[in-house]
Amino acid sequence: MNRTFLTAALTGFLTLGGASAATSYPLTLKDDLGRTVTVKAEPRRIVSMLPSTSETLCAIAACEKLVGVDAYSDYPQAVMKLPKMGGLYDPNIEAIIAQKPDLVLVSQYGKLEGPLTQAGITVVAVNPETYDEVFSKTLTLGRIVNREAQARALVTRMKSDIARVEILTRNVVRKPTAYLEIDPTPYSVGPNSFMGVLLTKAGARNIIPASMGDFPKVDPEFIVKANPQLILGVDAKTAGARPGWNSISALKTGRVVNIPAELNTMLGRPGPRLPQALRGLAKIVHPELFK
Amino acid sequence: MKTAGLVLLLLSAVVLGTGLGSVNVPPGEVLGALWRGVTGQELAGNDVIVWQIRLPRVVMGVLVGASLSVCGGAFQGVFRNPLADPYLLGVASGSALGATIAIVSGWPRTLIPVTALLLALAAVTCTLALAREGRRFPPNRLILAGVVVGSVLSAATTALILRGEDRARQVLAYTLGDLGFSGWPDVLTVLPYAALGGGALLLLARALDTLQLGELTARSLGVPVERLRLITVVAASVATAGAVAYVGVIGFVGLIVPHVVRLMFGPGHRTLLPLSALLGGALLVYADLLARTTPLSQVGIVTTLLGGPFFLWLLRRQSSE
Repeated sequence: MNRTFLTAALTGFLTLGGASAATSYPLTLKDDLGRTVTVKAEPRRIVSMLPSTSETLCAIAACEKLVGVDAYSDYPQAVMKLPKMGGLYDPNIEAIIAQKPDLVLVSQYGKLEGPLTQAGITVVAVNPETYDEVFSKTLTLGRIVNREAQARALVTRMKSDIARVEILTRNVVRKPTAYLEIDPTPYSVGPNSFMGVLLTKAGARNIIPASMGDFPKVDPEFIVKANPQLILGVDAKTAGARPGWNSISALKTGRVVNIPAELNTMLGRPGPRLPQALRGLAKIVHPELFK
Repeated sequence: MKTAGLVLLLLSAVVLGTGLGSVNVPPGEVLGALWRGVTGQELAGNDVIVWQIRLPRVVMGVLVGASLSVCGGAFQGVFRNPLADPYLLGVASGSALGATIAIVSGWPRTLIPVTALLLALAAVTCTLALAREGRRFPPNRLILAGVVVGSVLSAATTALILRGEDRARQVLAYTLGDLGFSGWPDVLTVLPYAALGGGALLLLARALDTLQLGELTARSLGVPVERLRLITVVAASVATAGAVAYVGVIGFVGLIVPHVVRLMFGPGHRTLLPLSALLGGALLVYADLLARTTPLSQVGIVTTLLGGPFFLWLLRRQSSE
């Protein structure tokens, strides 16, 4: 009796384990363009047209499958040597086809899926935009390229790295109100965008309300009225030169921080370096925690 | 009477534009803030918004709207072409390219109108050279040449925008027209361009009236037609370069405002040009107010969205009367 149960449990466990370790092809899924796509077999020659996708593939041990990346993919080092296929708005479709890929991963923006599908290439749009999607799309990518176990391990690792920073920032008494500028026209991030979630997790209080949207263009007078204690993403000189900004408390106390280029890249990429980005951001918001 | 109406319209635009926005400031507080600003007292709270952010933005709107409208009126008169505006002759496209070069290269802000003016003049020289027929500049050739030069310059601007990816959205916002970060230093930089260029055009009004009788008649009445064209073009380039330098390409104002004034108050340039300045200034401030309180977000988008249909409506109304 006992033995039968054990065998059954063991068999069940092995089957489950086996199912999760290898993707069974053909794999049909709904992609971020809302299309139903079938990946016929495990992809061996992949072109990635998004920097975050390139990073994720490399982080789940699928780097060697890449035969081309978009012009902005620059991490990790292995990606730098790959042929560049242009950017989101000026992709080099001929170069992509010339690589004979069996899978091209695209953004939902840009218009690559039409011509590439016509050329007989499997195209899947995967682009995470919210915080939660960073993890769910990592798992999706893992399933597509038959690296499911690695994707799961990556997500677990990312979540625990994030938790480690959050433990520090969660109980901080003074959380500064903050304005994070991602573009000088000016654009900022709402609390529900993945960057906004990171800002909150870093121990800041975002001055942008959720009602303004995920990446709103902000009226300068709103920022002055909100009077943030911390300004991120602008250098102090530019901020000081803006009309009325000298009255903002962040400028009076000198808490205006231009995010360093590398951290800025990590912050803007919904990929595997999210925990590192959070750590960098938390160091700026609460330097006292990292001494 | 008609002037009084437009002056009132402009004043109401300034008052509303200064009081309303993402933060609403009651009129009493607006006046208080203005007083404290003028008398150099300490500014606190909403004072900063009114005096440092809204008022310069509103004044910039008036300057730019007035400049573009006067230029449009003068161009329409000097080339006797209803489609003429600062975008004709490649003037605005040249200014935009100059400003874009300065923005993409990260040059100091005060250099922006200078490069804008230099490229506006280069563009206009190019257009005139292409259009020249002996000593004359026939209007049709001029407009064709202007369209070509403008298109080439716009293509160059777009190429720069695509290459300078880091500043792409900044430049894109600029090409859509935005009064966003206009402060007092910007207003003071633009003011001489507007005063000099616009003022010169106002002085040319009488000559422009004479030109409406036809080139031959104007010549026989002693108007140096070629020189008048040249001075108009240079003066308009100066005003346009100032208008385009910080706030970007704001469509339709220069085309529509003179037409509206003409439909309402008649075609004489001595009334047309000053009234266009008043209406253009008011219109742009109202458009900007709409832009910053609605998701339309940029003044150039508002002027183009409102300007097109309004213009068609005016045309239809006029033809049905």
